[in-house]
Amino acid sequence: MRHMATRYGLWLLVLLLAVGFLLLGSGLDFDYVIPKRLTRLAAIGIAGVCIAYSSVIFQTIAGNRILTPAIMGYEAIYLLFQALLILLLGTQSLLLGRDGNVLLSVLLMLGYSWLIHRWLLRNGSHNVYLLLLLGLVLSMVMGTFTQFIQLKISPGEFSIFQGFNYASFNKAQPAQVIYSGVLVAAVCFIAQRTLPVLDVLALGRDQAISLGVDYPRSVRLQLALIAILVAVSTSLVGPTAFMGVFVANIAYALAGTTRHRVTLPLGCAIAIGIFIIAQYLVEQWLNYNTSVSILINLVCGVYLLALMIRTRGTA
Amino acid sequence: MSRTAVVVLFVVLCGLSLMVGVKQVSWVELLSFSDDAWLTLTASRLPRLAALILTGVGLAVCGVILQQIVRNRFVEPGTSGGLDAAKLGILISLTVAPGAGAAGRMLFALAFCFAASLIYVAIIRRIQFKNTVMVPVIGLMYGSVLSAVAEFYAYRHNILQSMQGWMLGDFSKIVQGNYEIIYLILPIVVLTYLYAHRFTVLGMGEGMASSLGLNYAANAALGLMLVAVTVSATVITVGAIPFVGLVIPNLVALHYGENLERTLPIVALCGASLLLICDILGRLLIYPFEVPIGLTAGCIGGVVFLVLLIRKYT
Repeated sequence: MRHMATRYGLWLLVLLLAVGFLLLGSGLDFDYVIPKRLTRLAAIGIAGVCIAYSSVIFQTIAGNRILTPAIMGYEAIYLLFQALLILLLGTQSLLLGRDGNVLLSVLLMLGYSWLIHRWLLRNGSHNVYLLLLLGLVLSMVMGTFTQFIQLKISPGEFSIFQGFNYASFNKAQPAQVIYSGVLVAAVCFIAQRTLPVLDVLALGRDQAISLGVDYPRSVRLQLALIAILVAVSTSLVGPTAFMGVFVANIAYALAGTTRHRVTLPLGCAIAIGIFIIAQYLVEQWLNYNTSVSILINLVCGVYLLALMIRTRGTA
Repeated sequence: MSRTAVVVLFVVLCGLSLMVGVKQVSWVELLSFSDDAWLTLTASRLPRLAALILTGVGLAVCGVILQQIVRNRFVEPGTSGGLDAAKLGILISLTVAPGAGAAGRMLFALAFCFAASLIYVAIIRRIQFKNTVMVPVIGLMYGSVLSAVAEFYAYRHNILQSMQGWMLGDFSKIVQGNYEIIYLILPIVVLTYLYAHRFTVLGMGEGMASSLGLNYAANAALGLMLVAVTVSATVITVGAIPFVGLVIPNLVALHYGENLERTLPIVALCGASLLLICDILGRLLIYPFEVPIGLTAGCIGGVVFLVLLIRKYT
């Protein structure tokens, strides 16, 4: 019962936050302020869902609670790819932005996640910290390559690219929001139908197989979903680094069960709540004197550090 | 690779580094004492060479000291928060005391780097069941929290963009007159060499070190101080260069073992050689422009680090 109360209470809280975010200090201006805020709110909702789903599913497949797609370099490779596109095709690659770019990025990230899964996760390597270290160093190396490409592109293209590099909801365009919304809704629909399979996958490879799940096929499907979600969230709000770990772990703690039917929606609520609070703080209190990504990195980085020191290597 | 080969490689790289550049310098001109050629050499090429060698030696030696203190192969200033703390220190000195010169900024960077290293070592010592790769992971996380603080601070003061520019290791601004602080590394390296046996004993752990009559806390603090001076001097003059302190000691230990008094000179030479290679590459890749060494060293060092990790654990 207590957990039920937490669940519904949390969604209620998020709803209140959303309404507050829309109306507070808006002067009830329905022509300009509120539509603008609605766009931002929609972007926040989509990004929150993306981050929560991709992190929780990834942790289920990887079988631990610290790795997330962002840490394993998914976002870094997305940014590297965008920089390459701008370098090779110039800014018109952004015209390709709507369909071609997303499709290409998703394909690329699919390949990447297949590699990661094949080489690192399956290799019987149960050392989480090794994977974590590999992911962090890999992200750093890809970040360096991205910076190298930035050197080569012209200042105008550079400033466009710079926009990708910081999480911000202010740049979300209505068309892009609708487009991403449809994509994410489709992904969530598929994920929703595979919830029982996900619960079984969480038991580990051998148990899942002995319970009659087509393991390779289900994992491939889930990895594909993750690739799409990360591509959407990175293109919408930029990299979010440690946010996923934070969201997923709080969701597990509050859910009191490991059923994905419960943890996934809870994760979404938490992610959306955090984004709304961060955006509100940035807009109203800090007067745009900081950015959402810096705030979130600060809080979530400290949390992850504490998490690792507390678990003392037993994770 | 034998010791002589290391020395020969180093000398050849030094020669190359003096010769490569946008301004052509030929031996004929030098021998005929052309003023122009000599000016290029003394005002730009030689200072650059000195800075490169000192930075490479300093960073590699720093890595060794930290690895002995923390007793972990994968620790270096970049994976223990030291680099990020030094950046934060410089940033704060820029806003708190804008008038302070290089020496003032250096002091801030030094204080921050030293404090951050102390905290890091304290955290690592508190964790009881450590896992070899967990230690650098915690260091990287710690570093990214420190740099998030720095970014927060920089964003508020509107210096984020310039911060990203000057924090990246870059030797192209080194000319006569603005790099001399880097010579601080020289006494540090000498001290490290004199105390090499102490650091070797330190690497055996607190119990062993104490029973051999070594004041553990004092020596560890001395080591961290040496590291902090080196790191802040390099960050002030050239910016952050990751992975050198990690890759070189590991590669050297693979071939020559762990006796510091014997291997320290090789570590130093190899560190300098790696930076020279990265710098020459950086100067040639998009000639006549330059790629900052932070990028070339980050790519090469990062890839070597990944290879080391994968070879060791899979």
